Amino acid sequence: MPTISVKRDILHDALGRTYTEQEFDELCFEFGLELDEVVTEKNDDGKEEIVYKIEIGANRYDLLCVEGLARALLVFQNKMKIPKYELSKPGKMERLEVDPSVLQVRPHVVGAVLRNVTFTKERYDSFIELQDKLHQNLARKRTLASVGTHDLDTIKGPFRYMARPPADIKFVPLNQTKELSSAELMDLYSTDSHLKPYLPIIRDSPVYPVIYDSNNVVLSLPPIINGEHSKITLKTRNVFIECTCTDLTKGKIVLDTLVTMFSQYSDTPFVIEPVETVSQGETSIYPSLKYRTETIRAEKCNNLVGVNQGPKEIAKLLSKMCLESKVNPDDSISVTIPPTRHDVIHPCDIYEDVAIAYGYNNITKLTPGTLTVAQQLPINKLTDQLREAVAQSGFTEALTFSLCSRDDVAAKMRKKIEDIPAVHIGNPKTLEFQVARTALLPGLLKTVQANRNMPLPLKIFEISDVVLKDGGTEVGARNERHLSALFYNKTSGFEIIHGLLDRIMQLLEVPR
Amino acid sequence: FTSLRECKMQDFGSLILEELDKANQLDSLKFAQRHEVDEQKIVGAIKSLESLGDVIQTKIYQVKSWQLTAEGKEVAANGSHEYRVYSAVPDSGIQQSKLMSSCGAFGKVGFSKAMSAGWIKIDKSQGAPVVMKLVESASDTVGEHMVLIQKGESEKVDAKLKGEYKKRKLLEEVVDKHYTINKGTNFRTKIEKAPTELTADMIASGTWKTTSLKPYNLDALGVETGGGCLHPLLKVRAEYRQIFLEMGFSEMRTNNFVESSFWNFDALFQPQQHPARDAHDTFFISDPATSNNFPSDYLARVKQVHSEGGYESQGYGYDWKIDEAQKNLLRTHTTAVSARMLYECAQKDKFVPQKLFSIDRVFRNETLDATHLAEFHQIEGVVADYGITLGHCIGVINTFFTKLGIEKLRFKPAYNPYTEPSMEIFSYHEGLGKWVEIGNSGMFRPEMLLPMGLPEGVNCIGFGLSLERPTMIKYKIDNIRDLVGHKVNLEMVKRNPICRIDKSGTGEERRLQVLNRRWANIESKLSCIQKQMEVMGISTATAHGMAADSSDGNLMDVVIKVHPDKPPYSLQLLLNVLKKRFKVAASTHTHSSVKSAGSLVLSSDESRITADVKITLIYSNVTRPTMIVKNAQIQGEENIVRYLARILDSRGGGNLYESLDSKVVAQIDNILDRLTDASKHSVSTLIPGILTKSKYLAGNRVTIADILAYSLCKQAAVSNSSIKDWSKRVEDAIAKM
Repeated sequence: MPTISVKRDILHDALGRTYTEQEFDELCFEFGLELDEVVTEKNDDGKEEIVYKIEIGANRYDLLCVEGLARALLVFQNKMKIPKYELSKPGKMERLEVDPSVLQVRPHVVGAVLRNVTFTKERYDSFIELQDKLHQNLARKRTLASVGTHDLDTIKGPFRYMARPPADIKFVPLNQTKELSSAELMDLYSTDSHLKPYLPIIRDSPVYPVIYDSNNVVLSLPPIINGEHSKITLKTRNVFIECTCTDLTKGKIVLDTLVTMFSQYSDTPFVIEPVETVSQGETSIYPSLKYRTETIRAEKCNNLVGVNQGPKEIAKLLSKMCLESKVNPDDSISVTIPPTRHDVIHPCDIYEDVAIAYGYNNITKLTPGTLTVAQQLPINKLTDQLREAVAQSGFTEALTFSLCSRDDVAAKMRKKIEDIPAVHIGNPKTLEFQVARTALLPGLLKTVQANRNMPLPLKIFEISDVVLKDGGTEVGARNERHLSALFYNKTSGFEIIHGLLDRIMQLLEVPR
Repeated sequence: FTSLRECKMQDFGSLILEELDKANQLDSLKFAQRHEVDEQKIVGAIKSLESLGDVIQTKIYQVKSWQLTAEGKEVAANGSHEYRVYSAVPDSGIQQSKLMSSCGAFGKVGFSKAMSAGWIKIDKSQGAPVVMKLVESASDTVGEHMVLIQKGESEKVDAKLKGEYKKRKLLEEVVDKHYTINKGTNFRTKIEKAPTELTADMIASGTWKTTSLKPYNLDALGVETGGGCLHPLLKVRAEYRQIFLEMGFSEMRTNNFVESSFWNFDALFQPQQHPARDAHDTFFISDPATSNNFPSDYLARVKQVHSEGGYESQGYGYDWKIDEAQKNLLRTHTTAVSARMLYECAQKDKFVPQKLFSIDRVFRNETLDATHLAEFHQIEGVVADYGITLGHCIGVINTFFTKLGIEKLRFKPAYNPYTEPSMEIFSYHEGLGKWVEIGNSGMFRPEMLLPMGLPEGVNCIGFGLSLERPTMIKYKIDNIRDLVGHKVNLEMVKRNPICRIDKSGTGEERRLQVLNRRWANIESKLSCIQKQMEVMGISTATAHGMAADSSDGNLMDVVIKVHPDKPPYSLQLLLNVLKKRFKVAASTHTHSSVKSAGSLVLSSDESRITADVKITLIYSNVTRPTMIVKNAQIQGEENIVRYLARILDSRGGGNLYESLDSKVVAQIDNILDRLTDASKHSVSTLIPGILTKSKYLAGNRVTIADILAYSLCKQAAVSNSSIKDWSKRVEDAIAKM
């Protein structure tokens, strides 16, 4: 789950009042957020500021910045009307032209313009921070989508999105002074801890995606870096946003989220200027800012949540969650899902919001009415009975790992790994997780090794599952329940283990 | 008795009895000397005779004697340091450095002693200092004295000199305990070795009637039991299993660690780009790498709901790939099994309501730390039926945790790809004093249930938690490797108690509960006092520390009556603190009922007119110290101290009592109780006992526990070194406040 850092005082300003830490924690809890940590950080001027670390649900992209968080909490507390996000109608729309060459690398691009924006240091930082959060989470570390933001007054459309051989792309990248080819740039960033993880996304591609303006100025080399030329500053008034993507759905969500959050700082808040994308002869207009309407019924909602609310109450509860709702003459409820709530994909998501607004902890506790007869899994029942019996016979229970190294099951047991029907793990981080165990004995031997300081003799056992490769099953492997016991002393004591085996056979009624 | 030195203890015993029979009284020291044995052996024999009942009576007496230290013995053998230095100086003199190196360890001391005895001198005229003899011969009195003392003739050495030798660490004074032995009421000369065990023979022959058996030693440990033990985590697992069974849940078939991505993720409507499906988080199987045998129509429905939606869903709008679904992995949750079970259930002709549970291993390719391993046990419960609601989910979880002894629960909205609504379960942790997350829950999404073929209207709730975490909390284990895996200490497995999961807390926590009860008891007593005060016409607000009426410049005006034998030194300490914070007027008077005042006199320079705090101490013939506040009485020095500290804490930032952590306050009350009951003897043992654990009586800061104890010690003139040190610390700490 993503965690965002918000300066307490800025949050208080945005919420229109101050909260004690406990009050804010309570508010978060109710809304489904978690105030994870409160820390003191030094700001750029060396002044100490209190910073809240807040955990956000992984599907709530609209809460990843202080702007969205405050907006949602204000609406939740009925202190603010749900904003209406609108597209402006510019005389001439900015255009992104997609060259066919880029279709194989990173096929989609969507864009938007924020006009007459007023930045401050805090707003600017928040803007950058939100892009970063979206890159990390929704865009899966820029593989699915990545955003470039530019000072529109420094560049001139129409913009061309194309793919070029790395050597042919030359520009001064962000925060650099020298012009570099994209190959040089890859070298430069191979040691940069922030950008290094993104290089493999395009590094081995014969061509790299790039966006030019009409004067051949490079805007960005997605998904790696923007150009220095079009860098936005605190003085920037008009922001051009482009978002290139491999997953168009995600790209649209990223763009919608960015513009709905930051159009707040336009001279006409919540109005966004669209940009057209022309690809393979087709023109699309972005951001989509799609409002969708779902029609739900109170009974269905009540039956799922376990409350008894009328249509009017439900509509009121939903409005607290930024879902504008109205009751129809047939008592159904029309719910408008705004472009900030891409997480709502099914009526059950709407029902959840009803439950949250009603308060989970206000819902009456119920007990399922149907009678069911409990049944133990036979093998687990037998296992528990045998565990008791073996412990009564003087053996102490061990609990060892089901993963181990190849050597544990093979070489150390004087066997060849090829002869063992082991299930192999493809991506182990350490040697201890190379295979699933095929026998319990190696684990018991390791237990003895770790307990050599215990008084002798040691008598230990384990009853647990091993995993064996088996082509006859659906997944090609199966578990098998094993019992293993070990006697450790200065003399071999074969008769002790023999005796235990006899005892087990006796208990299981296996004749000699 | 030539062989006496080899005598065994009971032989000494009989010997003592025989001699005692003749002499009527024996002395352990003289007895030992007479028979030339170590007195300790005789003491052992005496102790064993004492255990026979009243055969002998003993009295301990102490004898102080002088003994040589190791250094003293060395001097007795080789002469004093100064004599040896003197002897090392040739008549022609010697360079000082040479002399020192030849004398070794004793050189420095010996040199200075020889100098001050006037035996030698230093000549610096030649440059390098040269040591010369100053007297022709010297007699080594110190060495001779050591020899005398070693021989036990220390009375021949002057007491003052012995004091000096003690300072030189040549001598030490030892206190020896010896016994005077007299006949007891059951005195007899013959002792038979008491049998320790009752045997079958004794019963058969009837000798048990006349045999006196050795009493059992109930302080010793018994013989360890044999047998094996079950593992703690699996004992807890058995308890959880039992709870599910009691609630009518059937156990799921979870014995398949290897699972396909399809059942582990896709069937649960977890999108293929979801971070959990990353190699960073999940163990993928390289052999057998894939599964292919999926129910084809179900597979098609899953694909459709992911990529395009359906069942009223928008879907995720991405290109769903079968290759991703085929990848084998080690299951990351037992919900994969729940999905299989629900699918199976949907294939039946008629839907049968289900309550299912499982407790089994799951695997995460995560970074390992003290609380996370790559594999752990997941506990999962699932209920599927028509008309199941979120309210049922909350109800089932509530019942489940109530059975575990956890009753304070609350639910937080959360996100989970396959449940909606989703809830995190929090419980209030009394020990930590905060809400902690203990599990996850929710209602399975229609996008998961409907493609399986479950009928519309069937809802399904699920909840899950880990087995390790509550077990670690229950048994106070910090590192998960101490609980699971081959490195587990088998001794821990043996010592682990049975799992009574609804009995909350460890022994420690139960002790804390006792303290809390004691605290509640004190509070009720206080409120009783308050009520009495109210009866006397004093409002509760003012009684509560007098906080309310400070504005009139009269914070407190109290009269304290004490007996002159028990001067309240605690008041003196508190007065010092009060004086730094308030204007205090204090005066001391003596009532005619007593002859003279106590040794403590409270006074101040402040006049009663300008003071906020007025304390009048009257020595009079009262049995318990009594404080009179606005016509109410508070009895006992401990309660007076409590009262004053409360005012200091609330008004003067005193931090002596109730402003401290509630645990500490409970501890203070406990100590105050014990001090109040203590006689002189136990105060002197009680305080050093507590002080071995901390700097002050209640932790590492001075509190009223110290203040009262200080007063009691001073009243009873108890003083030993540890009490002296601590008293000094208390005085210093108070002075700094």
